[in-house]
Amino acid sequence: MSSILKLENLKVRFSTHRGQLEAVRGVDLDIQAGTSIGIVGESGSGKTVMSRAAMGLLTGSNVTREGRITFDGKVLSDMSREDVRNEFGTGMAMIFQDPMTALNPVRRIGSQLQESLRIRLGMSRKEARARSIELLTLVRIPEPKQMLRKFPSQLSGGMRQRIMIAIAISCNPKLLFADEPTTALDVTVQAQILELLTDLRQRLNMTMVLVTHDLGVVAGNTDYVAVMYAGEIVEQAPTTELFANMKMPYTEALFKSIPNIQMKAGSRLPVIEGRLPDPTDRPPGCGFAARCSYAQDKCFTDHPELEVAKDGHLYRCWFPLGDSIQRKVS
Amino acid sequence: MRKLWSTFNLPTKISVAWVSIVMFFVVTGSFLPLPNPTEFDPDASGVGLFSSGHLLGTDINGYDLLSNVVNGARISILIALISVGVGGLIGSAIGIASAYVRGKLDIAVNLLFNILLSIPNLVLGLALVAILATSADPAIPIDPNRRVFIIIFSLTVIIIPILGRIARGATLSWVNREFIVAARSMGMNDRHIIFKHIVPNVLPAIYAVIFLAIGVVIVAEGALSLLGVGIIDGVSWGAMIGRVAGDFTYAPQSMYVPVVVLALTVIAFNQVGDHLRSQLDSREGKI
Amino acid sequence: MTNHAHLRKDSDVLLRVEDLVVEFKVPGNKVVNAVSSVSFDVKEGETLAVVGESGCGKTTLGKALLQIQKPKSGTVRFEGNELTSLSKSDLRSARTSIQMIFQDPISSLDPRMTVRQIVEEPLWIWSKGDENERVEKVKSLLNNVGLDPELVLDRKSYEFSGGQCQRISIARSLALEPKMLICDEPVSALDVSIQAQILNLLNDMKDRYGLTLIFISHDLSVVKAISTRIMVMYLGKVCEIGTTESIYSKPAHHYTAALISSVPVPDPTHKSERTPITGEPPSPVDPPSGCRFRTRCPAATELCATEEPMLREVSDGQFVACHYPRA
Repeated sequence: MSSILKLENLKVRFSTHRGQLEAVRGVDLDIQAGTSIGIVGESGSGKTVMSRAAMGLLTGSNVTREGRITFDGKVLSDMSREDVRNEFGTGMAMIFQDPMTALNPVRRIGSQLQESLRIRLGMSRKEARARSIELLTLVRIPEPKQMLRKFPSQLSGGMRQRIMIAIAISCNPKLLFADEPTTALDVTVQAQILELLTDLRQRLNMTMVLVTHDLGVVAGNTDYVAVMYAGEIVEQAPTTELFANMKMPYTEALFKSIPNIQMKAGSRLPVIEGRLPDPTDRPPGCGFAARCSYAQDKCFTDHPELEVAKDGHLYRCWFPLGDSIQRKVS
Repeated sequence: MRKLWSTFNLPTKISVAWVSIVMFFVVTGSFLPLPNPTEFDPDASGVGLFSSGHLLGTDINGYDLLSNVVNGARISILIALISVGVGGLIGSAIGIASAYVRGKLDIAVNLLFNILLSIPNLVLGLALVAILATSADPAIPIDPNRRVFIIIFSLTVIIIPILGRIARGATLSWVNREFIVAARSMGMNDRHIIFKHIVPNVLPAIYAVIFLAIGVVIVAEGALSLLGVGIIDGVSWGAMIGRVAGDFTYAPQSMYVPVVVLALTVIAFNQVGDHLRSQLDSREGKI
Repeated sequence: MTNHAHLRKDSDVLLRVEDLVVEFKVPGNKVVNAVSSVSFDVKEGETLAVVGESGCGKTTLGKALLQIQKPKSGTVRFEGNELTSLSKSDLRSARTSIQMIFQDPISSLDPRMTVRQIVEEPLWIWSKGDENERVEKVKSLLNNVGLDPELVLDRKSYEFSGGQCQRISIARSLALEPKMLICDEPVSALDVSIQAQILNLLNDMKDRYGLTLIFISHDLSVVKAISTRIMVMYLGKVCEIGTTESIYSKPAHHYTAALISSVPVPDPTHKSERTPITGEPPSPVDPPSGCRFRTRCPAATELCATEEPMLREVSDGQFVACHYPRA
């Protein structure tokens, strides 16, 4: 396996009227080609900012990005904005939470779908049309020919998300970013879209980054999981390993506090008290220490680094769970 | 209030200062040691700026321009304030009520506003003045007080749809918020919902537009006077401009002093209004 | 044709809804049957969850119970009062014993008011107590929902997070000591780790104030944590109603089964027995004939297109509207 996207010490800062806001603070992530990885976190964890920054999509004047981004052998962080843009479509593509705002409301589906085929792949009108019907069939849209004539407002949320997926995969990207792709959809439609994404990923041999707040979505659709908290990756492991053997107290607390359809009816949920630390004023120690039921003095003063355990399991904790014998007592 | 001042940029600060100066003249105008605006100075006809005794010079007939501009400010601004105040009150009431009640009333009100807004302000004003301020016998001129009343009335009619539409739009955006539904489900009656929840939220949008409306009215009144259908006695800024239009070659200052003052005042009111509106928009964004 | 097999004895129930119909006009002179002849009842102390996807009419149903959305026909009887026929002023006072909390916690609070004014408002409307008594009451309500009155009383709603706003909403809804609380998707706008806090709070308040809850939600995981009884809706109709245990352990309607199996399970080793349903709900403007779910149902036959299934009992207390219920 080879690395398709590698982030090294990625940092993203926003300057706001309240001072510097460090949304992503030193993320290292190596994504292998052909796998799918879930980035999990609550809102404010930095998961969306990190994925946008990795794609070179954060360009505001109040944003500073540091660190090295390597995509498919090319150092993206050193390239001009123009060159980065050339990677979109053929190199990487993205689908969003709200397909309505990502589609142009006054253009027909056909013309939006054919645009990148003609511009990026230089297809003729006829070829582009044939290919777009093929793409619509691929994302399982019934009657693809009629679909070409429609406007986004005539479609349901699920259909729009299928169109977005068709556009995203139209130029055979190597890497697909999916940012909360099913959050706005109904549960039965969500299941269909997730299944479609997983199926397409395998058939087209794509790498997928699935950004979500939903541990359930991650469990069934990814090979690896990275859990983010307060701008950092706090735990990362192969999906089955992570769910079987959580090492970071935050991951466990999050997992337990989420309503789960497999739990006993009417059972009381444990909660995570407190809230995320203020991103303009991060505490010196572990970001989760103030909410952690296992926290000790050291957690409040010393910032833990990512440790490597066996099976490629990474965690950022002084006193990892299930590890009482080797517990590093200060 | 201090928080609001800290958001002002330089143009806004200058505008606020200018509006304050104008308002100062409106209030104190008749007590200031200035020449009588209605008496001409036979020794200084058409003198330029900074002449002795006449800071802004005089017009061709020897009337002092500074005292006329200060006197004109009283008329122009008072007319603007009254018509915007009355028009704003009526317009907002209609706008809020129709958006709250919805249904046929709202359709009718919206249609009426759109029709009024589609007529250019000046045409509407001219038409209203022409209809109302015509006496049956052309030989008998209409009573000047009645004329001022008619001008104010016409300007009020111009303002009603402008502010009414803002109030209606703002109300529509609030009336479906869930706290209104919550208030209703707690048993609050319509009167309380309107005065406790809707009006306070709609008011900021109206404040901002009121400043813009004052600018609109000053210009409209000036244009009416310039065209000779405004206040004939020649006291407002527009009337000053109209009265001296023919003397431009001999005493250009008699033209550009009122023009510059009127223009600066309108720009200042617009700037303050724009600023208030942008503040409001960003605050809305935070909510 | 009545569809009342599942209704319980009148004397036992707090709320009884019969044949409720709510219609909307939509552009093109068409009429949407958002709620189409729905009947159900709620016993005191129960938590009834109303479950379904967008467009199933669950939110409209909640508003119609309070008469905020006027139903076209049908009856809503609460504690023996027929709400649909009350005069405006009687309705105002009847509403105080049913309160509602909403999905968007920020939009449910007036941004110009302080927390104190917000929570005091219902007391002020009904002139309950004098100024001091009201403030004391507000303080105790805020305490009960887990907010420190000294810290929050004089702040405005936009200074708070979504979870805190929802706590303020709950405090306000309890001020008049209602018997029933209608919760319309109260946690779906909140962050995952906050949802549990609000669900637990609702359960605590239910015990403390002796509330009966109607909990409207699209999220079957959330519903499982809080409900005692579940009513599943699809395109304005009731598909299935039963106790929480029975609905989750042996769903009888194919739609219920599909909903449950579509929920992502946070367990990578879980092998889902997906009930394959395809497509999306059809437009409520022009619903399918017969059973409204038949266009997506794996078990549909011609009978489903011609005859609308009535609710019937499949096991103790579990009723389903299906010609071919799952075994």
